[in-house]
Amino acid sequence: MRVDPGYISNMVTALNDAQVREQQLSNQLASGVRVNSLSDDPVSAGRNVLLLSQIQRDDAFTQSSSLVTGQLQVVDSALGSVVSQLNQAIALATSANNGTKNASDLKAIGNQLAGILGEVESLANSNFQGRYIFAGASTNAQPFTTDTSTSPAVTSYGGDQDVVYLETPNGQKIQMNVPGDQIFLGAKNVFAVLNGLVADFSSGMVDQTQASQHAADLTAALNYVSQQRVLVDNSITQLTVASGAVSTEKTQLSAAQTELMQADLATVATQLSLAKTQQTALESVIVQLGSGSLFDKLR
Amino acid sequence: MATINAAYSLITAALEADQAALDVVANNVANANTTGYTRQVANWKENVPVEINGISYGTGVTQTGPTSIRDRVLEERLGQQQQASAGSTARLTALDSVQSLFTPASGSASSLAGDIGSDITGFFNSFASLESAPTDISLRSQVLSSARTLAGDISNAATSLTAQRESLDQQAASIVSQVNALTGAIAQLNLEIQGTSSNGDAGSLEDERQLDLSSLASLIGINRIKTENNGLSITTTSGALLVSEGTSYPLTAGTVNGDTHLFIGSQDVTPALAVGGGQLGGLLMARDQDLPQIEEGLDSLAYAISIQVNALNNSGSDLNGNTGTAAAPLYIFQQPTAAAGSAAKIRVIMSDPSQVAAAGLGRGGGDNLNARAMAALASSPIVDGSSPSAFFSGFVTALGATVAQVQIENTALNASVVQLQKARNALSAVNLNEEAAFMQQFERSYQAASQVFAILNTIMQTAINLGVQTAVS
Repeated sequence: MRVDPGYISNMVTALNDAQVREQQLSNQLASGVRVNSLSDDPVSAGRNVLLLSQIQRDDAFTQSSSLVTGQLQVVDSALGSVVSQLNQAIALATSANNGTKNASDLKAIGNQLAGILGEVESLANSNFQGRYIFAGASTNAQPFTTDTSTSPAVTSYGGDQDVVYLETPNGQKIQMNVPGDQIFLGAKNVFAVLNGLVADFSSGMVDQTQASQHAADLTAALNYVSQQRVLVDNSITQLTVASGAVSTEKTQLSAAQTELMQADLATVATQLSLAKTQQTALESVIVQLGSGSLFDKLR
Repeated sequence: MATINAAYSLITAALEADQAALDVVANNVANANTTGYTRQVANWKENVPVEINGISYGTGVTQTGPTSIRDRVLEERLGQQQQASAGSTARLTALDSVQSLFTPASGSASSLAGDIGSDITGFFNSFASLESAPTDISLRSQVLSSARTLAGDISNAATSLTAQRESLDQQAASIVSQVNALTGAIAQLNLEIQGTSSNGDAGSLEDERQLDLSSLASLIGINRIKTENNGLSITTTSGALLVSEGTSYPLTAGTVNGDTHLFIGSQDVTPALAVGGGQLGGLLMARDQDLPQIEEGLDSLAYAISIQVNALNNSGSDLNGNTGTAAAPLYIFQQPTAAAGSAAKIRVIMSDPSQVAAAGLGRGGGDNLNARAMAALASSPIVDGSSPSAFFSGFVTALGATVAQVQIENTALNASVVQLQKARNALSAVNLNEEAAFMQQFERSYQAASQVFAILNTIMQTAINLGVQTAVS
């Protein structure tokens, strides 16, 4: 059988291939990434897009959820203060209405109640990073304003009834706010009752039936506010759970993504060593065989 | 009757024949590295004997000229494989530079830069973040800046694809003149070969024609048809005539719809050449099939995102309570008119972050109903029945698979070319060991003939001097 006299140049091609392989493997070692171009592993490259997308969504939700949790905690503590203020108001109203107080005592209590009213109103107008938290979706405008030109004074609500939700990556909707009208103007209008009480006592004369009715109304309003506060607490719990689940999911996805894309360094190092051995072997073969032809022996 | 003179002339001819054979060896050694050279062997022919008085006397040997050792079937097979291999190499080169536009992100921050997949997620995530605080201007600005990143990366990729298509187009056009030079040369060689050696192998002319043919085959897909008197006709793989014996038909380039098309006479042979192989086939295949497919994918993505996001933003209320109208629509992206070309044209036209319509229609600025709807587009089947990320995932998988497939095909074709080249070289290339052996053999036989000549000379000398050794020496 005849042989190809150019076999040495074919071997040089093989040498070239070995060097290309070495270069690819060193690249993998340097970057730690297994899939450096789409054609290396098209299916993994495609899955990688989806995994990264989910990981990034989870990341974004974790950030949003900590922001919203902060906001809900402000709402919760504001409502907590409202509850204690209202408790105080009920205590005052009850003590003032027991028939033992003189006119100046009643006026003083009326002033105290007015103070509580102002405090509750300012709590109802609290904001978080410049956004009014009890204004429904109209977070840019102060929701509660009081008109003192009449007696009793009238507090009105300028917000809206919109409930806003945060959506988790899995599509769960978590309530982010409770509109102010639902909390303060719900079963009983907290402000109307408080304004009524202030009016009851500040004149120094008291209509006991009306005052006790107002005190009873205030108790009802207090209960209702407490109920609404439970909604907020539920949201905080839901957010904590959802954000925990999302973090776990993200950890798992990151592990999967790393598994998919990262080079197995031990394998790469072994392959590199094999390629290097092949290159050395090819080089010595070429040197050995390249020593000439029969012409060298002609005399 | 045999004479010393007859022996003289016989051995002189033998010396000449040996020299001619040594010439052949020398020519082989000289051309050992010449591309396309086919080794030659000396042809020895016994002279016709003379018969005198019923006795036959040998009259020596002559050289009838060297023969090139060539297997036409093998050469043609090699040409065909080279043609296919050149085509897939050109296509692979084009696809390789395309896939470098879509390098997979490994997850590290630096690898995410310019990654369209991450841009898509980042854009829709910016709406998800906006849900938590719809009135926050910095979150609203984030929406616009991630939209700009997305639009920028998509349009960059589309622009690069266009540039690559143009470069492929230019390469294809530049091949035309090379093809015409080769077909012209082959036609000329056909004439010469038919004139000089209509029956046998034309030796170096044949080598040259073979070399031109193989160059031509690596440029475009051809069929060869052997004609009478050692002539050759060449057609494209689709049958359009390029060379008919001594006449060549030039390929011309013209522009059709902005693309270079190739003609023979008035016949547009572009589609046939694209599937015919050769470098031109590979370039045309990449230009007319692979790149448009990729562009189409990007266009669908850009179109769907622009249209859907614009429609939703236009239907919500922005921070100032405004809603888009026909006269003043609230569009984030420039509204595309058609899917084709939308990837190159996608850009963000909204500059005021307060115009991002996070709130549902008529609801307060703190509402996020519309932001939620826009964030939900990320998982809605808005691009050809898939979510944007899933579409992009399918897009890169398809592109990667095409490149990988062409790579495998290319490796296989190259291996088969190497095999055929080996077979061809084994038969037709100059083997120096063999030439050394021939050299030795012819040298010995020349030496022997010289010796015979010297002895004949002595015999002649003896005959002339009639035994007296001093008269003639």
